[in-house]
Amino acid sequence: MPKGSPGVELDRAVDAMLVALQPEPETNLSPALAQLMPIARALRDLPRPDFKAALKSDLQRRTTMNEGTAPAPESSRTAHFRRPNFPNIAPYFLVKGAPQFVDFLVAAFEGTERIRVPRPDGSIMHAEVAIGNSVIELGDANEQYPSRPMTTHLYVPDADATYARALEVGATPVHAPTDEHPSGDRWGEAKDPFGNTWYIATRKGWVAGPEGVLTVQPYLHLRNAHDMIPFAEAALGAHATGVHKSPDGIVRHATIEIAGATFEIDEAQGKAQPTQSYLHVYVPDTDAVYAQAVSAGATGVNPPQNAPYGDRAAAIQDPFGNTWFLATYLGPSQT
Amino acid sequence: MAVRRPAQEPASRSADERLLVQAAQSDPAKFEALYELHFERVYYFLARRVQDRATAEDLTSEVFHKALANLATYEWRGAPFSAWLFRIAANALADQYKRVSREQLSSDNAQDLDEHPDLSSPDWEVIDYHARLFRLVDHLPAVQRQVIRERFVEQRSIREIADRLKKTEGAIKQLQFRALQTLRAQMEGGHA
Repeated sequence: MPKGSPGVELDRAVDAMLVALQPEPETNLSPALAQLMPIARALRDLPRPDFKAALKSDLQRRTTMNEGTAPAPESSRTAHFRRPNFPNIAPYFLVKGAPQFVDFLVAAFEGTERIRVPRPDGSIMHAEVAIGNSVIELGDANEQYPSRPMTTHLYVPDADATYARALEVGATPVHAPTDEHPSGDRWGEAKDPFGNTWYIATRKGWVAGPEGVLTVQPYLHLRNAHDMIPFAEAALGAHATGVHKSPDGIVRHATIEIAGATFEIDEAQGKAQPTQSYLHVYVPDTDAVYAQAVSAGATGVNPPQNAPYGDRAAAIQDPFGNTWFLATYLGPSQT
Repeated sequence: MAVRRPAQEPASRSADERLLVQAAQSDPAKFEALYELHFERVYYFLARRVQDRATAEDLTSEVFHKALANLATYEWRGAPFSAWLFRIAANALADQYKRVSREQLSSDNAQDLDEHPDLSSPDWEVIDYHARLFRLVDHLPAVQRQVIRERFVEQRSIREIADRLKKTEGAIKQLQFRALQTLRAQMEGGHA
């Protein structure tokens, strides 16, 4: 008879099956566990959900663009849903004085302005600033989208140097970087002249470049943060990693991944009170995510439509009051 | 898995399909419903018959793009849409076999790949079994779903998954066990 818990015994057989191309019958398994092996064998052909979503998105684009009779692409793997050089969930800052905010980002965080769409009065309709391997978006606040202070986690090669630069160009110190932060990171905090909070951190074992940690991660302080995890999973196809909870179930920190990009949450406390953020996330299928988000409790703000800048775009508001701009990149021919 | 081999597709599915096909022929945007209905079935049919996941994905993509491009030419004359779709899949697979055959001929490892009788008569019951199982994975609790995908799709080790999900290896094995139990119970219970 097999020894160990059913989970351990079962995994031994699963492991052998996954390694072997032609698995032998699992003669040592108990009958109850042996009954599960046909399921395990069948799951070897489980399709990748990302592939299903990307192909669906590609087909939808062809129907939307009336390209149904055009030649099929060589491979669905060419169906990219994410705009190039846009790897992260971008915080979308709406501020009063967007041109000055661009200057701040460039000077404080060594940002690179890469897009600016000005209005006739010199204010900014839309701008993008690359920081490290990530991007931040911004514009001047308006009636529909008023200014909201947000919190952002910046992972940089040298937290002390970045923190010092931020203070030099007008940020207010909150905590100078120390090694005492519970994450183990070198970690400091500053507030910019526009009211936004920046957590400036250097990870232990820092890896530079796009293969390392994303430089920019939105950070949401939430009331009942534990409710965000099932919501994000159901609404945005997210999954939570690294969920740290107190013994009484309070989320102390969690990282939530959506289509390969991440944001962070924790339970609001002390000075870190809830804010309502604007977030821009690329998903494989905007229409599907919009529909599932609304059915999971989000409020539809803008239904999906083809945006003139080449995205299939929509907006929702989550139950915590954050606005999510959903987007699927339609490809270079649409830009 | 005890599987019988029926000769024909269920008639009820053909009737539903007919409505979906007519809708998609009038409005190509409604092709999505046919895609959702058949994605897992086509993917499994192809994945079982090729050597790797990337080829299965390329062929699946090719099949649906061809189906969309040629949907207007499909006529309902007794043969269900499924049969038409799987004919496209079988042709894509036959072309793939020919490509492989040519490569093997050039490397002195030639095999006769001309005869593939299973391509012309798909085993609908086996295909439906897998398609139903794959859809049930979507309805597992999130963490179980994640473990199943990491383990069987990404083929990660228990240790890797434990590291990624910040759990113990024992917890991952238990989640895998529970997920397989749930899937088996639902497959036995006949839930779609």
